[in-house]
Amino acid sequence: MQISKNPNHRRRRLGISGAAVGLASLGMMATAVSGAASASSTRANKAAHKTVARAANGCAKGAVPITFWAWVPGMNRLVKQYNTSQSKVCVTLDDVGAGNPEYVKLAEALKSGNGAPDVAEVEYDELPSFEVTHNVVNIAKYGANKYKKYFDPWAWKEVSQGSAVYAMPGDAGPMGFYYNTKLFAKYHLTIPHTWAQFAADAAKLHKENPKAYLTNFSATDLQWVLSLMSQDNAFPFKYTGGSNVTIDFTGKKQMAFANFWQKMLGAHELNGIPDVTAQAFGAMDRGVDLSWLSSAWGPSYFAPDAKQSVGDWRTSAMPQWKAGQHVAANWGGSSYPVFSTSKHPAQAAAFSEWLNGTSAAWKTEVTAPSSLFPTFKPELNSPAFANITVPVSGPSHPNAVFGEAGKNAAAVSWPPFMTEALTLSGTTFAGVLNGKESLPQAFKTFQGQLVKYAKQEGFTVHTN
Amino acid sequence: MSVTGTLRTVRGRALGATDAGRPLEPGRSHANWVHQRDRRGAWFVVPFVIAFILFTLVPVGYSIYTSLYNTRLIGGTVFSGFQNYTATFQAGDFWSGFIRVIIFGAIQIPIMLAIAFFFATMFDLGIAKWGGAFRTIFFIPFAVPAVVASVMWSFLLEPQFGPFTHFASVLGFQGTNFLGTNLIFPTLILIVIWEWTGYNMVILFTALKAVPREVIEAAVLDGASLAKVVLRVKLPLVRPAIVVLVFLNAIGALQLFTEPLILQAYAPQSISNNWTPTLYLYNTAIGGQQYNLAAAGAVIFGLVIVVLSLVSLISRRRRGEFA
Repeated sequence: MQISKNPNHRRRRLGISGAAVGLASLGMMATAVSGAASASSTRANKAAHKTVARAANGCAKGAVPITFWAWVPGMNRLVKQYNTSQSKVCVTLDDVGAGNPEYVKLAEALKSGNGAPDVAEVEYDELPSFEVTHNVVNIAKYGANKYKKYFDPWAWKEVSQGSAVYAMPGDAGPMGFYYNTKLFAKYHLTIPHTWAQFAADAAKLHKENPKAYLTNFSATDLQWVLSLMSQDNAFPFKYTGGSNVTIDFTGKKQMAFANFWQKMLGAHELNGIPDVTAQAFGAMDRGVDLSWLSSAWGPSYFAPDAKQSVGDWRTSAMPQWKAGQHVAANWGGSSYPVFSTSKHPAQAAAFSEWLNGTSAAWKTEVTAPSSLFPTFKPELNSPAFANITVPVSGPSHPNAVFGEAGKNAAAVSWPPFMTEALTLSGTTFAGVLNGKESLPQAFKTFQGQLVKYAKQEGFTVHTN
Repeated sequence: MSVTGTLRTVRGRALGATDAGRPLEPGRSHANWVHQRDRRGAWFVVPFVIAFILFTLVPVGYSIYTSLYNTRLIGGTVFSGFQNYTATFQAGDFWSGFIRVIIFGAIQIPIMLAIAFFFATMFDLGIAKWGGAFRTIFFIPFAVPAVVASVMWSFLLEPQFGPFTHFASVLGFQGTNFLGTNLIFPTLILIVIWEWTGYNMVILFTALKAVPREVIEAAVLDGASLAKVVLRVKLPLVRPAIVVLVFLNAIGALQLFTEPLILQAYAPQSISNNWTPTLYLYNTAIGGQQYNLAAAGAVIFGLVIVVLSLVSLISRRRRGEFA
């Protein structure tokens, strides 16, 4: 049900905006129906397989079977492309759910020892959860390190520990500052290059029009909050494998971050609704929210809800804590690990390397319906990619801004229990959205909850 | 009533026979007959017993077993005794959900039963034209899966585009957010009432139909008004059905899960992960991968329901509703 167990925690890139949930469930019924149809067509494929050398999925006879789980739309194009490009490996794609539903199935299959795929899509923040259980293969022995130089450094860092590589980095979500040019002009606002200016603008705008906000602060979106924190060099986690983990939501930097936002929240200078929902997009489209701190994948999510503001949105680098700097952040994206239960890890690794480390694959991945934002530099630097336009942003080229952000983003080290953190956060930060609790208070509560959980799970917890 | 009566007579006869004769001994023809009959009968319950063992006893046993261990990300699985139970008893998150569903049931069940009884009476008295058709229409919400119903209501009550929200603003209640923190509780009560009233109504209707005609005729001949017949004659006679419904609905309220889970997708700020006890168990198991802790919670939760069921059974037996 993606409605993912906790749909609200995995909204980004999962196609679950508020209204989409219902459509998704209707879609599930449709899938159930088409599932029956595809079962019979698979049988037909098998029959055809005997007579023709290459079947519909592009596989050669006698090829090594590799199973692959992913939810990005249009991935079937890549699988077919790979199967036709060589004759030794036959990849089969399964979409078992976006985000959490997939992780739950993965964890179960890995625990039971069978039924897990050879390769799967796993978000960067979830990868350490599979590393700690020794479920992912170190693909360095299959030549992964020779791809290192092609990737944004932060992305490579998040999939590796030293020379060990636990997944190939895939797409990313470098963050930027989207703003409505028409309304910025109307209220005589300029692009805030520093957070100080951002806060001043928020106050100024709210004074001028109490019904409009500079932006929306979605406190319940933990991954988003964490991305903002990483840009402020206040990322609260440290984990490099093993039993030691650092959790620090109450340190000096973290509290300063919380107080910075709380000052605006307390004065009602910011909107407070869950992000990446029909409600939030509606507020942006109707001019209630003038800007959006979002990521490279943002426009494709906003597009279906953008009506009157289509073409008015421009992209700029994120505001800086110190003027003149170029500190960036990343929000979202996936990696592609090989699992320890795989019978053909070498072939599985080769597929993951092809999928993420070749221009041939990326040429397809950047196009709709996948529309992935690469961490693969040859694609990032290609003029075709930089020149992509989206209707929401008119004739402008947002990828130039995001490509720059991707280069400047800092790597973060995710704790091996992000699912629990995401589950807890929805409830813990709800009070901030409702205005019943301050952000620093929520940080303190969250700190206590996570430390308690980590200790229960046997970790040695450091708090700074 | 008649079934219990028959059982009583059968048992009475058997007892009588034993009393009259010598004490029961194995090998006696009478006892043999009883045993044989039992054994042959046993074959008929085998399918049920197998299913019961496989799908009830084994999972319950496994839950209890799981709850006594602790599987950690660091350190693997260790026996932890009652540690998970003490942790659950101390978990305020778990018990606050309990209190919420108890309040939920205390409000929702009486309202729903009153509505169900009202319509059941209408149909029973034959006041409404097309009674059969309307009974079916009223029953339809019960046939709609809870997930579909929740998604449908989420659309209807959606704060921006929902028609009900629009309707509320036309009536002068601008900015009503049915899924907001303040209204989510009554909203869920309404959804559950919508889903279950038809079902309760059908059961009450059947019970009302079973009230002997003579009793009603006698009351009418004695000059009882319609209201008196309904409230003083029919209502007391269907009381056993109402008691059963209260009990079933109370268990249903305690297990409230699907509706808040679906609505959480639309209103994450209004429905917490521990909104109901079952949501707490689910999120503990799936979100935190703390299956052992969740198993202990599930055992405690199950015991609470068992105790409630026993209390209800005992009280009904005391009142002589069944032997």
